[in-house]
Amino acid sequence: MTILNRIAGARPGTNGRISRLLTIELVVFVLFALMPLLSGLVWSEDDSFFWIVFTTKVLILSLFGLSFDLAWGYAGLMSFGQALFFGGAGYVVAVMSRDLGISSIFIVLPVAVAVGLVLAMLLAAFLLSGSRTPSIIFIAFGTLTGSYAGERLARAWYYLGGQNGVSITKALTIGDMPLYEGVGFYYLALGFLVAAYVGCRILVRSQFGLVLAGIRDREERITFLGYKVQLTRAIVFTLSGAIAGLGGGLYAFHEGFVWPALMGPIYSTQAMLYVILGGVSTLIGAVIGVAAIEFATIILIDYLRDFWVIILGFLLLLVIMFRPMGLLGMLVSNRERIGSFRWRGANSKSDTRGD
Amino acid sequence: MEGIILNDHTKYSLTDKQFSRRILLQNAMWMSGAIATGIGSWVFPAKWSHAAGPIKVGIATDLTGPISFGGIPCSRVAKLAIDQINADGGILGRPLEMYLEDTASNEQIAVGVVRKLVQRNRVDVVLGGITSSMRNAIKDVIVGRGRTLYIYPQLYEGRECTPNLFCTGPTPAQQCDDLIPWLIANGGKRFALPSANYVWPHVLNEYARKSIEDNGGEVVLEEYYPLDQVEYGATVKRIMDEKIDVVFNTVIPPGLGPFIKQLYEAGFLKRGGRLSCVYYDENALNFNAAEEMEGLASCLDYFQNIDDPFSAKLQAAYQKIHAHKDKVLFTAGSGSTGMYRGVKLWEAAVKEAGAVDRDSVAAALDHAKIANGPGGPSNIVPGTYHCQMNMYIAVAKAGKYEIIDKADQVHPKECG
Amino acid sequence: MALLEVKGVCKTFGKLVALDAVNLTVENQQFHGLIGPNGSGKSTLLKSIAGAERPEEGTLSFLGEDISTTPPAIRARRGMSLKFQITSVFNLLSVYDNILLSLQAAHSLLSLAGSRSRQKLHTQVLDTLSEFGIEARADDLAGNLSHGEQQWLEIAMALAPGPRLLLLDEPTAGMSPEERRVTGELLRPIKERCSMLIVEHDLDFIKDLSDVITVFDQGQVLDNGTPEQIENSERVKEVYLTRV
Repeated sequence: MTILNRIAGARPGTNGRISRLLTIELVVFVLFALMPLLSGLVWSEDDSFFWIVFTTKVLILSLFGLSFDLAWGYAGLMSFGQALFFGGAGYVVAVMSRDLGISSIFIVLPVAVAVGLVLAMLLAAFLLSGSRTPSIIFIAFGTLTGSYAGERLARAWYYLGGQNGVSITKALTIGDMPLYEGVGFYYLALGFLVAAYVGCRILVRSQFGLVLAGIRDREERITFLGYKVQLTRAIVFTLSGAIAGLGGGLYAFHEGFVWPALMGPIYSTQAMLYVILGGVSTLIGAVIGVAAIEFATIILIDYLRDFWVIILGFLLLLVIMFRPMGLLGMLVSNRERIGSFRWRGANSKSDTRGD
Repeated sequence: MEGIILNDHTKYSLTDKQFSRRILLQNAMWMSGAIATGIGSWVFPAKWSHAAGPIKVGIATDLTGPISFGGIPCSRVAKLAIDQINADGGILGRPLEMYLEDTASNEQIAVGVVRKLVQRNRVDVVLGGITSSMRNAIKDVIVGRGRTLYIYPQLYEGRECTPNLFCTGPTPAQQCDDLIPWLIANGGKRFALPSANYVWPHVLNEYARKSIEDNGGEVVLEEYYPLDQVEYGATVKRIMDEKIDVVFNTVIPPGLGPFIKQLYEAGFLKRGGRLSCVYYDENALNFNAAEEMEGLASCLDYFQNIDDPFSAKLQAAYQKIHAHKDKVLFTAGSGSTGMYRGVKLWEAAVKEAGAVDRDSVAAALDHAKIANGPGGPSNIVPGTYHCQMNMYIAVAKAGKYEIIDKADQVHPKECG
Repeated sequence: MALLEVKGVCKTFGKLVALDAVNLTVENQQFHGLIGPNGSGKSTLLKSIAGAERPEEGTLSFLGEDISTTPPAIRARRGMSLKFQITSVFNLLSVYDNILLSLQAAHSLLSLAGSRSRQKLHTQVLDTLSEFGIEARADDLAGNLSHGEQQWLEIAMALAPGPRLLLLDEPTAGMSPEERRVTGELLRPIKERCSMLIVEHDLDFIKDLSDVITVFDQGQVLDNGTPEQIENSERVKEVYLTRV
């Protein structure tokens, strides 16, 4: 229990009860872990393969959603630029694959992470330096511009395939072994998602996370306690860029295609929608939001070919109007979402109140 | 999620309100048809079955979104061809079953639904894609990972030389070889190449320029504009000042309409200038007033009023089923001619191979021939994945096309 | 060497002159009261010292170093603590977390990410809480505390990191007489540890507590001296009687 405590800041209390948030997280990841094994029981072999590949895409996009939640839900930066990091990393590895024949996972993924990280760092340096606190609108416009510029560049530059985008025909390789879509890639993506997720979770429940919570609560006031607010946010933003980049690299090799819109504002907005639907500032909300929207899309598209977009938009509207805290907000209290940062080792005076 | 939103980064868009209302109506009818046929991909099962099971044909095209003007006739023509084949007893004694997926003019969705065709439905061939961007998005899913044959039906910039990917639409060579000399003879030597800034115009212009220069012409002006540009005053002025004889245009909607109009108002046609645009089909005649397009020369593999009995029968069959629904036309610019051609060439290949597996069919398709198709016969040039076809030069006169010239079995000149 | 030296500081907001060539000194282990009518510039001075406002002219030096252009976060790290006039505790965090936030500020971001000091600071947090009588509320959300408790929490947060200079802007505002008395009791013993510059309205509260009092009026220093001197000053009486 102590490891989970550390990760989740969970409070055992007197009767061993663990928090709802942690329960939800465990359920989600256990389901993902078991899905390929159980799918054969539910579906035919062909259908099963299809759904495994589809869920792999969901896992990869969850990294994309996670990156937005970090930026907005934890650092308070309404970033319309996550697609720039995601798509930008996708493009770099796509071009590397096309021109240099590089497909080794040991090069591709570090490069993808680096691209996302560097782009985010540059954007953060530009937007967050300066003595004044940047407003939400400023950040939104700044990141939107970055995303828009990225898309225009890709669209106009013939070397990047222009409007046609770039196809990735090689499979990701681990040493000599190629990794095609299927169970192998599924568990690879899941592994990266879990690793990124746990890393973020530890961070946001650490003392660093307490600083982030304080920044979200009262940004001006926390400066007077001695914290460098913009630097802290820049660090989280850079991390979110790195995670988005990782997702972009995996996406490029799994889907086999990158195109300008992948870097653009519309795609950035999609990240936002995933997270808002799932629940902002919860981390797992991003994953749930991605799964909900992607599965709804692929299922509805069969039944309601022309109207599914409208229905999806309508559902989102309902959620935002009545449950602004997203799907997860219906299950997890605000208090639990923010968490408690109190030391809970041996000899700590534990308290059963709160939550 | 992007299906209904953007209109700008697309090759074609239609602003006619009446047209889009009819599309909505027609799509509603599709939907009720789909619900009637059942769950899952839109399957058009053969009416009879066979011991060895049906042969599965996957059609992946843009039924919704900005490219639906092309996707809808493509899917209809595919069904028409398949129904005809089934009426004749199928192929190898087995019926054809059509699996239709909507790529929704959205590459991300397209990859998902094409995966369905290839992985879940295990189709034996996929025909589809209209924009090059879409082709690029889905080709690896079909040909690479999916190890399935892919036939791409639309006119495009060429240079697609992927094994097991066959292209049945016109290439730059086919559109230019006959047209450019004719333009020089019937327009003049000084050319302007106003273009939309994306891949197809760039590559087409490369070929056009060479052809123009080889035939004694001169490219005075070659410019690329953003896809959403609607103001062409400076361009038009330059065209007039430089005494351009022929405007070889690759600007596309939404900029196309204003450009043609502004050119007309500056007096380009009045002083004897010639317009040319190789994607212009019957649909495009709706974009501007008739006098603004007078004399515009296009070169395509098919026009509705060519003198070819088979084509006329095909068009009649199409009209009989679909004409009362809406104004979505069976034209060459929509990719539907290439679609029909692709289905029939594939049919011929399967018959020759006596099997449906990819490698056998690909080997046969490599030299497949059909005696009849929209525009005339067609055959794949071995080793090139592209096919020869008849090309027609048509000139717009008072809002209708007049067929000026026909070139027989023009060579695609790709991948050689 | 004085702890804090304010020399010739001027600050205007448009046409309003909030501070006019203000000079003020705070010594080590000194309680320095700052009184004056509403709008006389007391809060502005405090904010200028903390770094929330930037004066147009003059210098500020703290512990012998010029801090006129130093960012507020750095001033806080050097040992200056500010308690705002309006309660601004972190409402969505627990009382415990509020204190922890103020205590851990000195640590690097990297060590915070690793939560290296969480265990170490635990006892310190609890001690601070009991010192201010709010240990029973440790796990309650700060937003749920009564107004008086919130004020104490804020003072606790300002004091917990062990600053050299504590800037308090009307710490007893909105408090009942009983709460006011308790506040006085809480503040008295800290003189050993740090100096205080306290802006107050309640003359009685301040004269009990302070070693030195500076009187402000319309952005200028009116008078300065021990509480007895100020109480007997004619100028001060005139200002306080004629204006609120």
